[in-house]
Order: sequence, then structure tokens, then C-alpha cells
Amino acid sequence: MSQIMPSARQRKMRTLLFWAVPAVLLLLPLATNPYTQFIANGMLVSVLVTLGFTLTIGNLGQLAFANTAFFGIGAYSSAILAAKLGVPWLLTIPLAGAFGALGGFLASAAALRGIRTYYLAIITLAFGELMRWAYLHAKPLTGGTDGMPMPRETLLGISLTDDTLKFYIFLAVTVLLVKATLNLMRSHFGRAVMAVRENEIATASLAIPTARVILATFMWSGFVVGCAGALFARHVGHVFPESFGMLHLIASFAMVLVGGLGSVLGAVLGAVLLTALPEYLRAFPGMEELFFGLIVAGVLVAMPMGLASLLRRVSPIFVERFYREAP
Amino acid sequence: MSTLLTVEGLSVRFSGLTALDDVSFTLEDGNVRAVIGPNGAGKSTLFNAISGYVTPTAGTVHLRGQELTRLTPHEIAEQGIRRTFQNGGLFPALTVLENVLTGLHAQTQGSFLDILLGRSKALKSEADNIHRARELLKLMSMDHMADTRAGDLSGGQQRIVEIVRTVASDPPVLLLDEPAVGLSPVARAQMMEIIHRLAGEKGVGILLIEHAVELVMAAADRILVMAAGARIAEGTPEEIREDRAVLEAYLGHS
Ligand SMILES: Nc1ncnc2c1ncn2[C@@H]1O[C@H](COP(=O)(O)OP(=O)(O)O)[C@@H](O)[C@H]1O
Ligand SMILES: [Mg+2]
Repeated sequence: MSQIMPSARQRKMRTLLFWAVPAVLLLLPLATNPYTQFIANGMLVSVLVTLGFTLTIGNLGQLAFANTAFFGIGAYSSAILAAKLGVPWLLTIPLAGAFGALGGFLASAAALRGIRTYYLAIITLAFGELMRWAYLHAKPLTGGTDGMPMPRETLLGISLTDDTLKFYIFLAVTVLLVKATLNLMRSHFGRAVMAVRENEIATASLAIPTARVILATFMWSGFVVGCAGALFARHVGHVFPESFGMLHLIASFAMVLVGGLGSVLGAVLGAVLLTALPEYLRAFPGMEELFFGLIVAGVLVAMPMGLASLLRRVSPIFVERFYREAP
Repeated sequence: MSTLLTVEGLSVRFSGLTALDDVSFTLEDGNVRAVIGPNGAGKSTLFNAISGYVTPTAGTVHLRGQELTRLTPHEIAEQGIRRTFQNGGLFPALTVLENVLTGLHAQTQGSFLDILLGRSKALKSEADNIHRARELLKLMSMDHMADTRAGDLSGGQQRIVEIVRTVASDPPVLLLDEPAVGLSPVARAQMMEIIHRLAGEKGVGILLIEHAVELVMAAADRILVMAAGARIAEGTPEEIREDRAVLEAYLGHS
């Protein structure tokens, strides 16, 4: 069955739509109160966390759960660089990304040594717990259980505790990284990532260096999630070890699945919806977790391919493929 | 006519089992060399040893005089030896077009950074490759299938797309492991026609594993007959037809 691809006109509309979303979002602070602005900022952080996760687990198809480790590494890198070395926070974002990429390098080393499937799952989970142990015990560097407060800082004369200012910075970083990731997935690199997932042996026969593809995917995933960690550090203003445990991992995994495994659009949708959902569930005290779980399960039963698959059926504009037609 | 592939004394042992035993032959450009032999004769192992998927315990492989023995599969593919797989090697979730594009991976321009930033160098190369992939599909009358998921194709169509993907980069040497297995008689004939054209028009040197003896006799310039890992005969189809050892060991005649 032939898939319906977007026409040239629809591709133009898609580009327009891509840039229209952040353009409209520039006006969002006019419509928020301090509380809802804080939630919106958290959504942007989650978008990047989910995006990095879906690349390794969806596109590359590796059962790797080191995503929360990358996130914590990014957050602590940012906090330590800012608080201990006085690096301006804005600069810590790419640096945290670099440390996240280093985490990705370590996670890929396991996969490249032939540790796969459940074994990779367990070893990457252990990596996450090991990092949490390190945050707790490297007290002089991380503050242990007390965590690390982010230092006071101003940008253009505005304090970095200002949620509107943070929103604009988070939005810029998120849009840049989503666009870069889309460029990546719609190139020969993105196809190679999918090819490794589908048939690694056949991939090598096409002169594709599979080990390098796996390494680069993990590192880019680590970079994106590491950057998200730096945003998170500013978002909450104080980094604690508990933020980087199983709960965060499970929540991000749910975002990946609800959006649709291996879909950039799905990562955005899953992150936004599942970050908003708990806010609505506050109306049912004591039942929040139960309802959250039921809703996630319900979406997955109704749409095993996630919300992105629903949009694809609505219009070919939302079809995500792994090549890029000339405009 | 020049020699592309030179295989000398190639042997593979799997913990006690000699799957490939001192096999030697050459492959010339524009030639089709069939490899025949009963199941378990070591034909696929020969392909795996040439393409780097198993490490030979002895022997060498040269492409145009350059040694390739012990390179990794992707390095050997990059040098110009491309192969298909007995059980099919398409990527089911990718479309036909995307599958063919993966065959052009190595000739794509642009660094990781060029791709990330969507620089024109990377975009231009991508556009060139898409153009080429569509042309190739058109040649095989598969262009109307470009946007179909490979997993949704019929068995015969999958085999053809796999060949298109494998030859997309214009490799000098092609190893085809039972490309016609499981196909209808019509599709088989079409497959043999494609193989014939690749050798005749493009000068590709082709190693072909195939079970149907009549197809082999018609399509091959030379034939290598294997049994229990070893070469038991080698020659033109006419010579093989007359060969006593072949008649006894393989064709089952007395
Ligand atoms: N990776 C492997 N490990 C162990 N034995 C193998 C392996 N690959 C093939 N063999 C054995 O080598 C012999 C030759 O197999 P193969 O090359 O697949 O034969 P053919 O393709 O001619 O049918 C068989 O006995 C097979 O079981
Ligand atoms: Mg075989």
C-alpha cells in the first residue's frame, strides 16, 4: 500500500507551519499567569528530553534507558559550571550538551560491545542509578542531598529567575534543536539510523559504518538531552538528585510512546500533553497517578503508533519520512 | 576483459566444521559466475568470507589487485563489492525510495555539521541522490512503488528492490545469494534478465548463487560447483554439463 506523500505545496505549508508555531508562541507570555508560564517552560524542557529519547529507542531501536542519566548530567554540568566556575548560564547550555554527548558516548560503548536488548536495558538503567549515586555522594561538587542552587544572574538587566525571559530562551533552544534533529533524520544519516534498527547486517553491506551511526545517534541524543538538563537547572533553580530517578525515566518513556516511537512530531506532542495532563488531574486529589496511568494506557491501546499516527491520517503534511525532497 | 575479483585458497572453519575448504577462482568484468552446490555446500559462507561477514581462516581476496581480506563488511562494500542476502536484506519500515537511497549512502556529500545546519552542500547531494534513485527505479519499472513501504511489497518486488539498492552505487562486483528463490517462473525470468543486463550493459562482475540448474546454465558464463565446502568443478556451462564429478555429486545422475 503506497503511502501518500505531501505534495510540493503541502511541503511548503509544512515549512510555514513549522515556523508559525514558535512565532505564535512568542505571544504566549501575554496569555499566561506566572503559574501557567512555569508549566509552559517545563513543557519545552520535556520536548527536548523526549526528542533525545525517541531517537535512540525509536529510530535506532536500541533498548537504552540512559536518557535520564543524560538529563542529570546536563543539569549538574550546568549547575556546577555556573555555581562553581562562574560560567554564564547561557554558555553552560552547549557545554551541558557536550557532557550529555559524553554520556551518550558511554552508553553507546555498551551497545557497540555487543550488549543489546534486555542486557542493554539493564546496563543503561544501572548507568542512570550510578549517576544518581554520584550526585548524592560527590558532595563537594554536587551538594549531595541538599542539591545545588543556581547562582543569581541577570541577562540584559533581567534576572534569570524571570519565567518570561526563560521562556524565550527555552523556546529558542528548543526550536533550534528540533530543527537540527529534523535535518538529521531527513538525511542519509537518518536513513542509516533506521537501517540499523531494521537490519544491521544488511546496513553494513551498503558501505554504511554501523558502529559510527550508533555512536553518533547516542551522542546527538545525549547532546539534546544534556541541553535540556541545563534548561531544567534554570527552570527549577535548584538541582536535586531525586529529579533524575526512575520516575523521570518512566514519565519520559510514556511521552515517547504516547507521541509515537521514532517520531519528532510525536516527541513534541507527547511531551506537551503529558506535561499538561497532571495539571488537569489536580482536580482529583489522590487519584492523579491512577488517572494518569489509565489515560496513557488508553491512548496506547487506541493508537499503538501514538498521536503522531493520528495526525498522519488527517493530512500528509504530518507524514515524517527519512529523505528531503528539493523544495 | 579484466579480472575484478581474485579469490585464492579461501577457507573458513566453524569450530571443527570446515564450511569452506581452499576455494580459488577469479571473476572478470561483465561476467556472470554461478556458484552451485547442494544445501550446506558452503556457498553462502563463501559470500560471507568475501564480503567480510566471517573471517577466513586462510586465503585471500583481492579486488583489482588490492587485498580486501579481513576488512570489515562496510569497508569491503565501500571498495566496490556489494551483496544481497539469501533471506532478503531490505528495511521493511523504510519506503522503496528510502531503501534505494541507503545504497547511495557512501557517495553522499556533507559532514554531520552540514546536515545539522541544513547547509546547501548537504541538500544538493541529497537532491542528486533522490534524482538518481528515482531514475534507477524507473529503469526497473518500479517508480510507481517509490513511496510504498518495502515490507508491503510482494516477494518478487522485494528481491528486485534489493538489487536496485545494491547496484545503486555502480559497484564493479555484485554477489547475489539466491536472488530468484521463491519467485514465480515469470519473476524468475525477469530476475535473470536483470542480471544479464547488469553484466552485459554495465560490465558488472556478478557472482550468483542459484539452485535452478537450467537458469544457471542459461545465465552464467562460468560455473563453480561446490560440495562440502570444497570446489569440485569449475568451467563453462558446457564443460560442467559433461563433468563426471558434478553429475555424481550434485546432479544426482550416475
Ligand atoms: N556462522 C556459522 N556458524 C557455524 N556454522 C555455520 C555458520 N554459517 C554456516 N555454517 C555451516 O556451514 C555450512 C555451509 O553453510 P552455507 O554456507 O550456508 O551453505 P549453502 O549456502 O551452500 O547452503 C553448513 O553446514 C552450515 O551449517
Ligand atoms: Mg546459502
